[in-house]
Amino acid sequence: MTTATEARAPQAVSMRRILPPIVTGQEVVLLVVLAVLWVLLGIFTPAFLTPGSIGPLLVQVAPIALIGVGMTFVIITAGIDVSVAGMIMVSAVVTARVLVSYDVPAIVAVALAIVIGAALGALNGILIAYGRVHPIIITFGTANVFTWLGLRVFDSSTVNGIPSTLEFFGRGAAGSTLGVPHSFAIAVLAVAVAWWFLRYAKSGRNLYAIGGNQNAARLAGIKVQPRLVWVYLITGALAGLAACMIIATGTSTLDQSVGSGKELQVIAAVVIGGTSILGGRGSVVGTLLGAILVQTVVSGVTQLGWPTQLGFLFVGIFILIAVGTDIIRERARRARA
Amino acid sequence: MKISRKIAGALALSAAAAVVLAGCTSRNTDTGSSAAPGATDGASAEDLTIAFVPKLQGIPYFEAMNTGGQQAAEELGFEWLYQGPTTADAAAQADIVRSFIQQGVDVLFVAPNDPNSMAPLLEEAQAAGIHVATTDTDAPDSVREVFVSQASVEGIGQQLTDSLLEAMGGSGKYAIVSCGETAANLNAWIEVQEAYTASEYPDAEIVDIVYAGEDQAMATQMATDLMNSHPDLTGLVGECTSSAPGVAQAVQDAGRIGEVFTVGLGTPQSMLPYLESGASSASILWDVEGLGYLTGWAGVQLATDGDLGDTSSLSNEALSEVEYDEATGVLLLGPPTVFTAENAGDYDY
Repeated sequence: MTTATEARAPQAVSMRRILPPIVTGQEVVLLVVLAVLWVLLGIFTPAFLTPGSIGPLLVQVAPIALIGVGMTFVIITAGIDVSVAGMIMVSAVVTARVLVSYDVPAIVAVALAIVIGAALGALNGILIAYGRVHPIIITFGTANVFTWLGLRVFDSSTVNGIPSTLEFFGRGAAGSTLGVPHSFAIAVLAVAVAWWFLRYAKSGRNLYAIGGNQNAARLAGIKVQPRLVWVYLITGALAGLAACMIIATGTSTLDQSVGSGKELQVIAAVVIGGTSILGGRGSVVGTLLGAILVQTVVSGVTQLGWPTQLGFLFVGIFILIAVGTDIIRERARRARA
Repeated sequence: MKISRKIAGALALSAAAAVVLAGCTSRNTDTGSSAAPGATDGASAEDLTIAFVPKLQGIPYFEAMNTGGQQAAEELGFEWLYQGPTTADAAAQADIVRSFIQQGVDVLFVAPNDPNSMAPLLEEAQAAGIHVATTDTDAPDSVREVFVSQASVEGIGQQLTDSLLEAMGGSGKYAIVSCGETAANLNAWIEVQEAYTASEYPDAEIVDIVYAGEDQAMATQMATDLMNSHPDLTGLVGECTSSAPGVAQAVQDAGRIGEVFTVGLGTPQSMLPYLESGASSASILWDVEGLGYLTGWAGVQLATDGDLGDTSSLSNEALSEVEYDEATGVLLLGPPTVFTAENAGDYDY
């Protein structure tokens, strides 16, 4: 109470003091690691740093980074969403079927995918916020239900002959302007908006409070439950948009493996990006860098001609280092306090 | 707390209901269209129940086999049961096999996910008086009476190599985008491709073999990476049904149709757009519905003590080159089928 009254007068000053620095340590480390990797790959492979290689790499990163924005929100609130793959599957298969059967324009397909994703995300959010069961249990449950739903729509066959309506998001010539892939530009835009939101918007700051201590946040007057519903809804909507990118970068056939494993790729990007899995801390810029780092490692291993399995080893090590650093920092902070 | 428990309970209930419902509905659709027992013309096959457990249900490949099996059931007059796990999981598959043993089917066909762990179950089935056999994938060290094989390992590996090198002009560097790193059949084909390329095409070279899992997008990305790291690469092989369209898509996206040639093991429907655009030169597979039909036919022979070597009763045109090797107990569908832009449209899987 006393701190609140004290803080009211010199609000501008204290606000600046509370906000973390523009760039955090983890982001700098990631940037350096990425720069070193890219330079090394540029030296040791013939074509890593050419547009023909970087472009497709960024297209591949885009859906992961995009969903990563939502997942960063979720993990900041000390939650997790393991139903991402299921949401991608449902959005993708319905959208693909509509594209094949009704030949709708791209904008309609995108809107449809986002609405489906948002609806599934809202279901997650409502169950988590008002059911007050741990998010991993809820989303694990809904993940299975979504997968069942997706498989029903697939109806034991693939979706064949998907038209190139969504090529705006694709890997081909129609998918980029002046060498910048559209899907990656959209992901960067989403990261920029989310960065501003988390840093300067009141409801954005509230997410950190919820993740830090949900009861304290509630007592401080934060509307915890509606905030949580929004966070999961946004993750679902972004998964829907990402599903459009996945359709665009896929082949003309969509099979039931769509989305499979994406939840773990997204969580890996978020964790490597320095967001604390314990909640209360995290950055979307880190998530974007984490997503780029993971794909750089996978592509780098292939381009160097190394065995594919090494990609798993390196990504695993990055995750362990990131989580390890987070836990050490947390202990240091506790020791100080 | 009370509320959360209630909701958790409701969730658990609905999850359970969903699982049960999913099980019921898929079972219904699978057997719904099979021939009614009794409506037969071949008296010997009457009242026979032949069950097939695929590795995975719901993918076009096994659904096409199911279609072929149903067709055989209608023509030869037996009951065809088809059920498999929704993920390629050996334990889930074993549960389904057990349920068919309990139902007391006459013939049980399995495409095992794990041949070693399937072997004792097959023994159990045989002890229960069921004729056991494998199809699509063999369990060599088991009591299976026959293995219905889609194509020989040599046939596939050599056809893939021949089709690719024909497009590449007989020489050049190429790379293979495979799928599961431990998939025995894919690895066996790759071995043949390596040996056959070395012996028949001395001016050609396999520069890399990568593994994309069953992920189309990953296969496309890896093919893109391979084209970048080997600027003189002129060929790509997609070793399974997800990487075959994947590598073709990569060539199309990179705008290198006509410079980099691809072949793969893809289903005709998924390959048709790429065969038409030239991003894929040929798709090598076998007549999957034919394989399903042959499986059903072999089941009837097993149950009625018929002669597997006497293929004269096979009227199906796709099955004109069936061969039976009594020593190994392998019933071979024939040489692989090469799908091109001309014939791929004729198949609906």
